[in-house]
Amino acid sequence: MRKRTLKRSSLRRALTAFWWLTLIFLYLPLAVVVLFSFNASNSAASMTGLSLRWYHQLLGNEQIMAAFGNTLILALCSSVIALVIGCLIGYGMYRHRHRKLGWLIVLIYLPIVLPDIVFGISEMAFFVQFHRLTGLLQPGLGTMVIAHVTFQIPFVALIVYSRFVGLDPTLFEAAKDLYATPAKRVVHFMLPTIKPALISAFFLSFTLSVDDFVISFFTAGPESATLPIYIWGAIKKGVSPEINAIATLMIGAVAMAAAISLLFNRKRQS
Amino acid sequence: MTDLTNTVNTADRAEVADTASRDRRGASSIRMQGLRKQFGRDSIALAGVDLDIKAGEFFTLLGPSGCGKTTLLRILAGLEEADDGQLTIGGKDVIDMPPHRRSVNTVFQSYALFPHLSVRDNLAFGLRMRGEPAAERNRKVAEVAEFIKLGPLVERRVDQLSGGQKQRIALARALVCEPDVLLLDEPLSALDAGLRGQLQVELQRLQKRLGMTFVFVTHDQDEAMVMSDRIAVLDSGIIQQVGTPSEVYEHPANAFVARFMGHDNLFAITASEDNWVDTGLGRLQLDPAEQRDTPDGWLLIRPETLELGGDVPADYNRLEGTVEERLYRGSRIEYRLTVNGHPLTAVAGNLGQRIHDVGDRVTIGICPEDLVRVAA
Repeated sequence: MRKRTLKRSSLRRALTAFWWLTLIFLYLPLAVVVLFSFNASNSAASMTGLSLRWYHQLLGNEQIMAAFGNTLILALCSSVIALVIGCLIGYGMYRHRHRKLGWLIVLIYLPIVLPDIVFGISEMAFFVQFHRLTGLLQPGLGTMVIAHVTFQIPFVALIVYSRFVGLDPTLFEAAKDLYATPAKRVVHFMLPTIKPALISAFFLSFTLSVDDFVISFFTAGPESATLPIYIWGAIKKGVSPEINAIATLMIGAVAMAAAISLLFNRKRQS
Repeated sequence: MTDLTNTVNTADRAEVADTASRDRRGASSIRMQGLRKQFGRDSIALAGVDLDIKAGEFFTLLGPSGCGKTTLLRILAGLEEADDGQLTIGGKDVIDMPPHRRSVNTVFQSYALFPHLSVRDNLAFGLRMRGEPAAERNRKVAEVAEFIKLGPLVERRVDQLSGGQKQRIALARALVCEPDVLLLDEPLSALDAGLRGQLQVELQRLQKRLGMTFVFVTHDQDEAMVMSDRIAVLDSGIIQQVGTPSEVYEHPANAFVARFMGHDNLFAITASEDNWVDTGLGRLQLDPAEQRDTPDGWLLIRPETLELGGDVPADYNRLEGTVEERLYRGSRIEYRLTVNGHPLTAVAGNLGQRIHDVGDRVTIGICPEDLVRVAA
């Protein structure tokens, strides 16, 4: 008996150690970047002291501030548009779930599993041809918003769909029965009921947009560099401590958005 | 839940009377003619239903699952469209009217309370959607909360309620709209037996006080008999019989209704002459009123009408049987007998008479007036 508990406790200890190793594996590189962003010296090799010097320098760098602005505008616009379209698609998937529409669902999923590079090149090729033929859609923030919306839609649609599927279907009938017109059913029943899912979907979309480099890279114009594109360009000249500061800010922003998304996702499930 | 039973007894009489008279003008009759509904190619839910429900009646649609009773209720609510037929509520043709424009409310089996709203907002939902001003809304919600004795529940969140509480709130949410007709889709089926019995009495009392037309769906014949003014028994999308509980129980229109109402003692009639019939039990004499020209159909013997042991009056049918099983049920004793090789069930009230043992030979007396002929 004693032997068994001993065995079990050593197994537990090994699993706990494994957990911490995994965390270190995941977060040590991030920790290094965060740490060096506060480095007082220019060197990427040694810490000489703590300072906010690189953050100050960031604020003064017009290129970086422009990229930061582009990133925010892109993430906001694409997330709002993707939310509206994805919500409608999610509702449509729910409404017609009893029909044989499996292949349509696969179409929705496809952008999720497609490699970003294929997606990005396709978008670029399309925009180039479209611009050549019509003179519209010059590469820039506009094309980037469209490209981002396309990969955000499936996530929004699936979150909204899963919320609807989790509801008692007689709720829709109760709303009809209690004198709600089709428009009032949307405003007073459907939207309030799926609100947590919508908030969750928005922040997930926002995070995906801020994170994206590959698709942005292929669809961006000369004036519309986002932070990831700027970092990629700057890094060719070597990793400056400034980059560490940008990366740290991005880690913070993305972690926050992801946390909010998770929070509302959990709320809608409870 | 006990306070719900007490509600009507102890609630302010004047207010109850006021609510009752206000709602009575809303009571409406329902007329259905030739209602048909088919799902897919070969699943017929309703095969032409004609039915009249009177204003202020407690009417029950009774039948096994898949008989079409729920489909019929959903057509009344407007949640399902009939393929064919006419439907008027309070004399108004509503067949093409969408559910949100019908003055009909439903108490759903799953209660269907809105999870994003408090109990109070759930109660006010219908009034709000109908565009009633806030003051009016609040007054009516307070009134119904008082009437159904919801008390502090009104401030709760929906997910903090028990099944019985949800049931009451679903009922209140429908009643507060003062519909012409209230539809109830097996609202008691999810509750335990005790609570269910209590709510059966309560619902029936409530309906009488409000004078509102109630259409109640259930598969439980006891529930239907306890609560209803009239019952329609459905099977395979066809109405088998419409009548008061005693009509349906004592004079079932056919063998299906008889079996569904819980009758076991049905015997095929092999021959009949005047008021005599031959069955597996032997030759039995009927009341002349039951005399028919044709020998077909079934003979129904209600177990509680059989007299076991003792002297059999001269004008009674007399049979002899053996006790195979005895089930002691406290207030009554159930005997499973065999008569000429056929099983026969008898139920005797436990009145202190002799209790027969398994294996006993007993005489069975049947009054001719208690025998009922039932169509096939």
